[in-house]
Amino acid sequence: MLLQLNNIFKWVNSGGQRIFLLKDINLNIEEGEFISIMGPSGSGKSTLLNVIGMLDGFDEGEYQFLEEPVHTLKEKDRAKLYKEYIGFVFQSYHLLDELTVKENLEMPLLYKKFKGTERKAMVADMLDRFNIVGKKDLFPAQLSGGQQQLVGVARALISNPKLILADEPTGNLNSKQGEEIMDMFKQLNDEGVTIIQVTHSEKNAEYGSRIINLLDGRMI
Amino acid sequence: MLKHNLLLFLRNIKKHKSSFLINLIGLSSALACVLLVYLWVSDELNKDKFHEHEERLYQVLRHVPDGQGSLATYSSNSSLMLTALQTEVPEVEMATAVFEFDTGAMVKTDDKKMTAIGNMASEDYFKLFSYPLLHGSMHTVLKDINAVVISKEMAHNFFGQGNPMGKTLTIKHGEEGVDGVFTVTGVFDIPVNSSKKFDFVLSYKKFLQRRNANNIHWGSNSSRVYALLNPGASINRFNSKMGDFIKNKNEFNLATVFFTRYTDNYLKGNFENGKQTGGRINYVILFSLVAIFVLAIACINFMNLSTARASRRLKEVGVKKAVGANRKVLIFQFLTESIVLSFFSLFCAVIFVMLILQWFNGVTGKDLVFTVDDNMTMALIAITLLTGLASGSYPALYLTKFDAAKVLKGKIKTSFSELLIRKGLVIFQFSISIFLIVAVSVIYMQLDFIQSKNLGYNKDNVMIFERQDGLVDNMEVFLEEAKQIPGVINASYMQGGMTSFNNSSSNHRWPGQTEESKKLTFRHAHVGPEFIETMGIEMKEGRSFINEKPNNESKIILNETAVKLMGLENPIGTRIDMRGPNMEIIGIVKDFNIQSLYDEITPMALLCRTEWVGTLMVKIQSGEEKATIEALTNLHNKFNPGLAFNFKFLDEQYQQLYESEQRVAVLSKYFAGLAILISCLGLFGLAAFTAERRKKEISIRKVLGQSIAQVTVMLSSEFVKLVLISILIALPIAYLLANNWLGQFAYRIPIKAWYFISAGLLALFVAVFTVGSQAIRAANKNPVNALRDE
Repeated sequence: MLLQLNNIFKWVNSGGQRIFLLKDINLNIEEGEFISIMGPSGSGKSTLLNVIGMLDGFDEGEYQFLEEPVHTLKEKDRAKLYKEYIGFVFQSYHLLDELTVKENLEMPLLYKKFKGTERKAMVADMLDRFNIVGKKDLFPAQLSGGQQQLVGVARALISNPKLILADEPTGNLNSKQGEEIMDMFKQLNDEGVTIIQVTHSEKNAEYGSRIINLLDGRMI
Repeated sequence: MLKHNLLLFLRNIKKHKSSFLINLIGLSSALACVLLVYLWVSDELNKDKFHEHEERLYQVLRHVPDGQGSLATYSSNSSLMLTALQTEVPEVEMATAVFEFDTGAMVKTDDKKMTAIGNMASEDYFKLFSYPLLHGSMHTVLKDINAVVISKEMAHNFFGQGNPMGKTLTIKHGEEGVDGVFTVTGVFDIPVNSSKKFDFVLSYKKFLQRRNANNIHWGSNSSRVYALLNPGASINRFNSKMGDFIKNKNEFNLATVFFTRYTDNYLKGNFENGKQTGGRINYVILFSLVAIFVLAIACINFMNLSTARASRRLKEVGVKKAVGANRKVLIFQFLTESIVLSFFSLFCAVIFVMLILQWFNGVTGKDLVFTVDDNMTMALIAITLLTGLASGSYPALYLTKFDAAKVLKGKIKTSFSELLIRKGLVIFQFSISIFLIVAVSVIYMQLDFIQSKNLGYNKDNVMIFERQDGLVDNMEVFLEEAKQIPGVINASYMQGGMTSFNNSSSNHRWPGQTEESKKLTFRHAHVGPEFIETMGIEMKEGRSFINEKPNNESKIILNETAVKLMGLENPIGTRIDMRGPNMEIIGIVKDFNIQSLYDEITPMALLCRTEWVGTLMVKIQSGEEKATIEALTNLHNKFNPGLAFNFKFLDEQYQQLYESEQRVAVLSKYFAGLAILISCLGLFGLAAFTAERRKKEISIRKVLGQSIAQVTVMLSSEFVKLVLISILIALPIAYLLANNWLGQFAYRIPIKAWYFISAGLLALFVAVFTVGSQAIRAANKNPVNALRDE
């Protein structure tokens, strides 16, 4: 069991009213799964993804990640946990514009106390694996959207996470570029990485092994 | 990690050149300003600190009731004080008395002559004061009555590279009656940080020799007395013990004795009614504060620009947090940036300071040198680190506080408190700038007032020069011949000078005197017969000296204030006892200012005598100055062959009275300019960012039909409001402080509303100009471009 959500509630108070973002979410995810979260805009897909990724908290319920009770962990331990096991891929890539491809890939390693030589090796490895060695000294603005997202995925993978969280990874790409990214995810999943993606596209959802549908913060 | 951070920093600079430049220019000019003030302040604080025993070196001062209900403070003392301190007071380890010549003395050898400033000091002088002796021993140099100790420069001037010891110099000082041959017994050097500069020292025995015994009493105060207290002596206890020292010696004497640190003399030399009221230390504090404020303004620019362009850096924060960076690491990153920037600014500032130091020395009248020693390095590093931390801490804390999820979703809204802080900082900047503008204009107006004030005499076209050498004996002859020169209107002489007049005495007798008016202190000057006419002083009643020859030595002229305070009903013809018995009052002059305008006019008496006279004055016609001066120079050379004719114009000398105010005025002008420049740079940056942030809003408004003018006004008004609030805050403070500063002048300008209104308008104008240009640019953009971005 990779992670388990039990009776998760999340809400905000607005004008004296409680508006639920997530309502009673129960979810078990095994290692090696490829899950697609679907639902209309505002249904809580991204919120759920952020809760799983520990970037966002929740108000009620229990969350176990690799047998650790996330809801009772301190901020610091929680950060340690997601730093080690989770990688993020964003819809708008979120590469740092001022850094080259190589430097963008290296950046997460800086916060994980790898030595310089180790970092170099890992970056070289990743450039190789994603076939972007030739682009290592380019800045994001010099790449196409698809290439940028490729770098985004490579950055998420560089520290060998168990889980990749992708928030509409193909949302800003054309269909061909999107397909390439999805193929990449499929391949990673085959290699044993657990993937949870948020998507609007039925076609992309089909790459996954399981689909979770959300409506108004509730699983249906 | 550091490399990564620096890389990001550099690339950010490259991308956002304008905010980098604003920060760099602001911080480096502010740091340069701090550096200059630091140099200036440490120079001021180090004055006289080279004296080995400076911690125990004290000066004897006297507080004397001035007859008008308050205390006046004098640094002069009787020479009896010296012997009394040496023999009767166990706390005093050593003491010395010094008589300082007011004017230059003639010093010559067979083939060279020069005028030089000197004094006469008792034996232990060089033991108390650590002026390094290049020749001679501090124990013996002043032992002999005909000894002279000369400065390094003077030794070089007269004797070149040769050994000056044992050589002789003829020294003549008409006013003080010194005239003789002296033997060089030592050579001293004066360190640059000495507040006193002089060329030679004679023995105090010479001073005592030419005063007859009757003249040496507790009421004749012409020397300065210094004492070295025993180690461990408590100055407070000592002062309370010594207070009545003079009164105990002489029951008629009203002076209270007290001791102040010799080194305090320079910075804290002002006394008012017996209380220490600052002095140059006020300017030290003032400029230190101004430097800190200017630096604060620059730091605020950094904070405001960093937080305003937060949106550009927030993504970075969000991504880094998402990949595992914790807040501490990110705060460290931002602080590194601001500290690196401040060190870079320091580098620019140092170069800038080196370039303008000479100019700064000119403005401040100093000889500052920029040397990097341990103290300097420590101070620089400390100031720069502090600047980096101060300017970087708020942005660092602000930028790193957001959740990664929210940042990456773009859900961050500018919070109300953040806007409040940013606006508060802008208000702070502008308040200081406006305050400085008011300060500068008040200082300038007051100085202008002083320059143009009717002093009661006419200072225009009056040449003044010292009574030197040949003029000592032939002064009257010289003046008679001078009056024959066509361009010369009149000529006369006086004791002391029109702008620095120190002679005073009390204990005078006149009919109808009350107990209180017995204490009245008078200034009294020996003047020439045509002094009143030459100076253009107006007579109120009676006659001047001009027609009183040959008996004018027993005649006296008083000023209005004297007559009023003495309570004389029919002064003309009254006989009084003042500088001689049975003096007849022949005239009353209208009050004239003979000191700086800090002081009220005091009672004054004029006597027609030639003793003590050191200054000659010649009133010339305007329009033909050149020919007249040439003729006077020739005449002077006839009386003083080989001696340069060093004359000054009285109005120039008068201006020098306010030299420190002039310097303050010039310096504060630059500081105020700098403050408003840096503030505007910051405002410029903020306006640019606001325009960018509201790009979409502007476009929508324009699409919906708002005109360019309306958009411009909308964008500008946000900042104009801030400047208006700053005006409201700054003006009352400026009013209070200006009033306070002007309060120290006995003659001052009234504070007028328009100083404040114009300062406010100036700030407003500059701000509108700065912001308006940005607003117009933003308003003129094609709305389609902005909307297409979405």
